[in-house]
Amino acid sequence: MENNFDVVLIARVLPTLLQYLPITFEILVFSILFGMMLGIVLAIPKLLHIPILKQIITIYISFIRGTPILVQLFLVFYGIPALLKLIHIDVTRMDAMYFVIITYTFSNAAAFAEIFRAAILTVDRGQMEAAYSVGLSGSQAFMRIVFPQAIRVAFPNIANTMISSLKDTSLAFSIGVMDMVGRGETLIASTTRAFEIYVALSIVYYVIVIILEKVFKFNERYFNRYMPKELASQ
Amino acid sequence: MTIDIAFIVEALREISKVIPLTLFMTITPVLLGIVIGIIVAFVRIQQIKIVSSVLNFYVSFFRGTPIIMHIMLVYFGLPMLVDSVANLLHLKIQSNSIPILFFVILALTLSAGAYVSEIIRSGILAVPKGQLEAAYAIGLTFPQAMRRYILPQAFGQSIPNLTNVFIGFLHATSLAFFLSIKELTGVANIIASMNLKFLESFIAVGLIYWGISIIVEWVSHRIEKRVTAYSKGGFSS
Repeated sequence: MENNFDVVLIARVLPTLLQYLPITFEILVFSILFGMMLGIVLAIPKLLHIPILKQIITIYISFIRGTPILVQLFLVFYGIPALLKLIHIDVTRMDAMYFVIITYTFSNAAAFAEIFRAAILTVDRGQMEAAYSVGLSGSQAFMRIVFPQAIRVAFPNIANTMISSLKDTSLAFSIGVMDMVGRGETLIASTTRAFEIYVALSIVYYVIVIILEKVFKFNERYFNRYMPKELASQ
Repeated sequence: MTIDIAFIVEALREISKVIPLTLFMTITPVLLGIVIGIIVAFVRIQQIKIVSSVLNFYVSFFRGTPIIMHIMLVYFGLPMLVDSVANLLHLKIQSNSIPILFFVILALTLSAGAYVSEIIRSGILAVPKGQLEAAYAIGLTFPQAMRRYILPQAFGQSIPNLTNVFIGFLHATSLAFFLSIKELTGVANIIASMNLKFLESFIAVGLIYWGISIIVEWVSHRIEKRVTAYSKGGFSS
C-alpha cells in the first residue's frame, strides 16, 4: 500500500460525503426541535417546585449529564425495543435513525431544561410584578415581558448546545445510521484510505460549525438590540 | 424480555475493574491539556504574530470538530507521519509498535488543550487589569504577578468550567471503544456480546459513568469553595 498523503482523494470524496449531509441535519433539526419542547416541559416543574416530579426530573438531568452520549445511544437502541416488547409492540426492525433522534432528543432536552430554567430565573421578579401592575395576565406577562428577556440570556447557551449536538451526531453511525460518518466508513472500506476520509469529514464538520457560529453571532446581536451598547458588546 | 437485575450487578463488578484505566485516560489528557492550555492562552493573550494565528486555528479546529475525528485522525495520521519520518532518516522506529492507547491519549490531550485554553483565557481576562497593575506597583515582575495573583484567581473562576471539561473527557474516553480499547464502554460491549445481554450491560456502564461524574462534581464543588474562600462576602458572593 502506498503511504503518501493523497490530497486529491479528499477533494474526490467530499461531494459524496456532502450528499449525506442532509441526514446529519435531519437528526440535528428534529432532536433540537423535540428537545426544546421536552426541555420546556421538564423546566416547568422545576420552576414551579412541584414535589416528586421535580426530584425525578433532577435525577433525569443528572443521569443525562453524567453518562456519555455513546452509552445513551446504546441504552436507547437496546432499551426502547425491550420496553415496547412489554406492551407487545415489535420495533426491532425500526430504522436506526429513529433511535438516534430519540437519544439526541432526550439528551438535548436535559440541556435545554437547565438552560431555560436558569434563563427565566435571571429575569428580575419585579418585571413580573410591574407587568401585573399594568394589568397584564400571567400568561401575557410571561410571553411579552419575561420570555423576550430570558431568551436573550438563554441564546448563547442554546447556540452552544446546538453546536455540541451537531458534533455528537457524528456518533450516529455506531448504531448503523448511514449519515456522513457512516458513508465515510464505507468509503474507507472501499478505498482503504482512512486518514484522508477522516480529514474530509473533519473539514465538513469544521466548516459547518464555523458557519453556525457566524449565524448565531448575528442572531445574538439581534436579541441584544434593546440592551445598552456597552452591555451588548460583551 | 425482562431485565436481569442479577446480571447488572455482575456486570457492574466486571466493568468496574477497568475504572482505573478510564480514569488514567481522563486525568492524563486533562492535566497535559491544562499545561498546553496555559501556554496557548498566554500566546493568544500576548498576540504574538504568526504563532498566535496558528494557535487560533488549532483551538478553533479542535473545538469545531467532533472528538471522535481527533481520535481517528491521530490514529490513522500519526503512523503515516512516523513511518515517513523514519524512512527519511533511516530510523528503525515502526509505527505499529506504538500502543493504541497512546494514540487515544494523544488525541484527547490535543483536544483537551484546545478546550482548556479557552477556559484559562477567559479566566485570565476575567481578572481585573488593576490586579496586574497593583502587582507591578509593589515591584513584582510579570511572572511573579501571574503566579502569585492572576493565575490563582483565574483558576478559582475556571474551576466549574474545568470540571465540565473533566467530565466531558471522562465521557469522551468512551470513544476509545471504537479502537477496541478495553475501557468502560469497551468492556461493557464485550460482556454484552458474550452474554447477549446488551441492555443490562449498558445500564451497568451507564451507572458507573454516572457515579464517577457525581463524585467528580462533588469533589470539585468542595475545591471551588476552598479556592474561592478569599472572595467570601463583599460584593462578589
